[in-house]
Amino acid sequence: MSLHLNVNGEARISSCDPLTPLVDVLRDEFFLTGAKVVCREGFCGACTVLVDGHPIMSCLLPAGMAAGCEILTVESLASGGNLSPLQQAFEDYDAVQCGMCFPGMLMTLTSFLKQEPNPTRDDIKTALVGNICRCTGYERIVDAALSLIPTA
Amino acid sequence: MSDTSSAGTNFPRRDARDKLRGRTRYTVDQGRPGMLHAVLLRAEVPSARLLSVDTAIARKMPGVRAIATAADAPGRHGIGIADHPLFATGCIRYDSEPIAAVAADTLAQAEAAAAAIIIELEPLPAVISMEDALAAGAPLVHPQWRDYEVLLEGAARGGNVAWEATVVRGDTAAAFARPDVRIIESAFQVGRQNHLSFEPRAVVASYEDGRFHIETSTQVPWTVRNVTARILDIPASQVRVTVPAVGGGFGLKFDCALEPFAAILAREAGRPVRLVNSRQEEMLTCLCRENAEIQIRSAVTEDGEIVGREAVVLMDCGAYGGEQIFLTTMTAHTLGGNYRLGSVKIASRAIYTNTAPNGAFRACNGVYNTFALERHTDEICDAIGMDPLEFRRRNVLGDGDLGATGQVFEGNVLGPMLDRMAGLREAKPSKKPLAGDRLYGRATTVGTWFVFVGPSAATVNLNADGSATLVTSGVEIGSGSMMQSLPQIVASTLGLRPEDVIVRTADTDGSGFDLGVGGGRTTVSLGAASQAASAEVRRKLLGIASEMLQTAPERLVLENGRIEIIGIKGSGTTIAKVAERAQQVVGPLSGSGSFTGPGVAAMAGCARGHFIEAIDIPVFAVHECEVAVDPETGHVEVLGYTVVQDVGRAINPRAIHGQIQGGVVQGLGYALHEEVTIDANGRIRQASLETYRVPLAQDVVPVEISLYEGAPSIGPLGTKGAGEVPILNVAATIACAVSNATRRQVQQLPLTPPRVLELILGRGAALSFPHIANAWRDNVLTPIS
Repeated sequence: MSLHLNVNGEARISSCDPLTPLVDVLRDEFFLTGAKVVCREGFCGACTVLVDGHPIMSCLLPAGMAAGCEILTVESLASGGNLSPLQQAFEDYDAVQCGMCFPGMLMTLTSFLKQEPNPTRDDIKTALVGNICRCTGYERIVDAALSLIPTA
Repeated sequence: MSDTSSAGTNFPRRDARDKLRGRTRYTVDQGRPGMLHAVLLRAEVPSARLLSVDTAIARKMPGVRAIATAADAPGRHGIGIADHPLFATGCIRYDSEPIAAVAADTLAQAEAAAAAIIIELEPLPAVISMEDALAAGAPLVHPQWRDYEVLLEGAARGGNVAWEATVVRGDTAAAFARPDVRIIESAFQVGRQNHLSFEPRAVVASYEDGRFHIETSTQVPWTVRNVTARILDIPASQVRVTVPAVGGGFGLKFDCALEPFAAILAREAGRPVRLVNSRQEEMLTCLCRENAEIQIRSAVTEDGEIVGREAVVLMDCGAYGGEQIFLTTMTAHTLGGNYRLGSVKIASRAIYTNTAPNGAFRACNGVYNTFALERHTDEICDAIGMDPLEFRRRNVLGDGDLGATGQVFEGNVLGPMLDRMAGLREAKPSKKPLAGDRLYGRATTVGTWFVFVGPSAATVNLNADGSATLVTSGVEIGSGSMMQSLPQIVASTLGLRPEDVIVRTADTDGSGFDLGVGGGRTTVSLGAASQAASAEVRRKLLGIASEMLQTAPERLVLENGRIEIIGIKGSGTTIAKVAERAQQVVGPLSGSGSFTGPGVAAMAGCARGHFIEAIDIPVFAVHECEVAVDPETGHVEVLGYTVVQDVGRAINPRAIHGQIQGGVVQGLGYALHEEVTIDANGRIRQASLETYRVPLAQDVVPVEISLYEGAPSIGPLGTKGAGEVPILNVAATIACAVSNATRRQVQQLPLTPPRVLELILGRGAALSFPHIANAWRDNVLTPIS
């Protein structure tokens, strides 16, 4: 049985068991290794991808459940050689350290900023409740996201 | 004359872009054609005789390509003592200790085969706590401890005392007997801290042309090379280690870990083998910051002079000595640091228990020794009725003062840093109103740490296009030192832009020995070697340029990729042209450099069993915080946090600020809610992120930061390591502030709400350690004259 998935705008076919966690299909079959497996329990957020626009922990979602949905991974954010505004802000703020949490951070905040174009600092921190970063102490990530808010 | 304009700038990191695009391939993202997947069979008891390991059935399971057991790994390794075999050998000493390793076509096949290995065990009694381990007649974790190879002579050992380091300077007995002193005694206890680096320990190993190639997530490629060789009993030259981007280290990866397992399996299977710890394995076998117990006593005069100090520190090394053996050294420089002491006796002991081995974690035992020292200092101030800031101003180490081991400190650093902190405090309103009805506390602490210097090597090749390639064994673990400070140091020596310096990733076949990335040493040791290598290139470059420009070398200056005659802009030529010319007349330009710690003298006879008797580069920190404690729930909120950090010279201030924010937040987790506990069967209870609570975005505050420059340092351009020390006095500062808020003596970490409530309600029993003797001398094996 094969599974039809729409990943980053491309139709992809997977031969996996539909119960396979989506993150494993993305990483092991499609070599989209941006999403990271860190806890496999939905606590760290490093595997966050967008499924029909919603940030989802791809370690908890069986790939079969994503069939027919639009899946976006961190690899989709930049277009051509250009980083997305949020990626660019992270680079400009020297926010990155080890980098393992950023794929998830980016997907969560990309979705959040689309829904909430005028968030406060606290709103952004609340949005990050499901994304752990062990290196940076968060504040620069928040600073970078806030820099995209015109009124902030 | 050299241009140092690229030092002191916020040079961005070159790896950010790929990390942000999800393109960076960490070790966990690596794959090879034909790669096998491996798992470890781990023990599920803390102590047992291992009677047999039968792999016959497992070997016939589908997809299985190789199985390794203790017979494949004859050697033992360790720091100070070679006590650690790769696989449990003869007996099991901790829960989750590896017994066998299996490689198969798929991970599921490897797991199934591991489950089919039959082991026969005979249970043995276990010592789970240090109190168990030091009880009279306690079972020995290593009954054969006398037979182990000793790698560093001079320390007392015995039974469950894996290592003992002592400091004796002056006559504490006389100090404590003085009629004009108050004697203040304190006890402290701390649990373990898990690094939780996002990338677990991971390796891909292969065996090609009679040599191992190990690609791994490590901070110490040369340690991996040498330990793998020792365990396999092969020449170290047969092991090549390369390191891709590392997804967080924090000290966890400062030791050889999974690499030898994968190497053995790869050799047997003839195919590349991938071995990655699951998160559960990481939680259960993390080389945590160790749990520790501290007793400290001081004799202090009414005007705050510390005339005598005696301390005993017990550090749980778990089932094998590991890093704790070395860390016994650091008690002298941390618990024995910060203040002038008239006389001092310190016993720092690593204790074997039947629990998972501990390891190195950012500022290591400095974190809890600083907690203990600073809380003890505040208890002294309470007892003698002196303002804690005044006490610190009077007593902090200054120019010409003696450290615990009798080393002479150079420069007044902590005093002016306290003044700097006072200025910051006065310049802004207190955050007390934010506490509302809650209890409010503020505290200021000082801390002493060091840069772990030691050997490093570097080569710089100057390319004919005017770029330079820096070759070292340095590893980028996320702190940015390989991405920012090293290219900045090379660029400033050669007059290039830092973006024109290529930094090669670590490969033990391509670069010279290095002690590893940790202990704040990258910028200093690798930086100094890189600077020396660059200086050699510079000399050669100037020689060639001098001929080309018909000008003496000392009248030339390197800047912006050009070599100019001093004072005459546009008079010279580009570095690229000189490099190209050199290639034609003398061959390509390169330079090599090396560095090691020069060694600072301690007072003869003061320190026993120490790896480092005096610290080459001390690093100081002053922290201050304001907290609100909810008396109903015991919840501690951090209202504000300020750091004054001694950085020597800040060559990339923005990057250092990032390290400080991140380090302080890791310290907040340790101080407030990161808790590792061990059950009666010796198993770590916090097996996942569900139960191990790390700081989240909502828990943190922006740290106010002031970089203190100008303290003496032998580091290149006057630098000191800046990434390790930010965590040093966070727990101390929070604990002192919570003490001040609650008017209770904080003795334990972390300050979880239940623990703080107990404190407020006065329900917790005072700490007492039946296994720490009252008389200092009764705590040591070392003969003290």
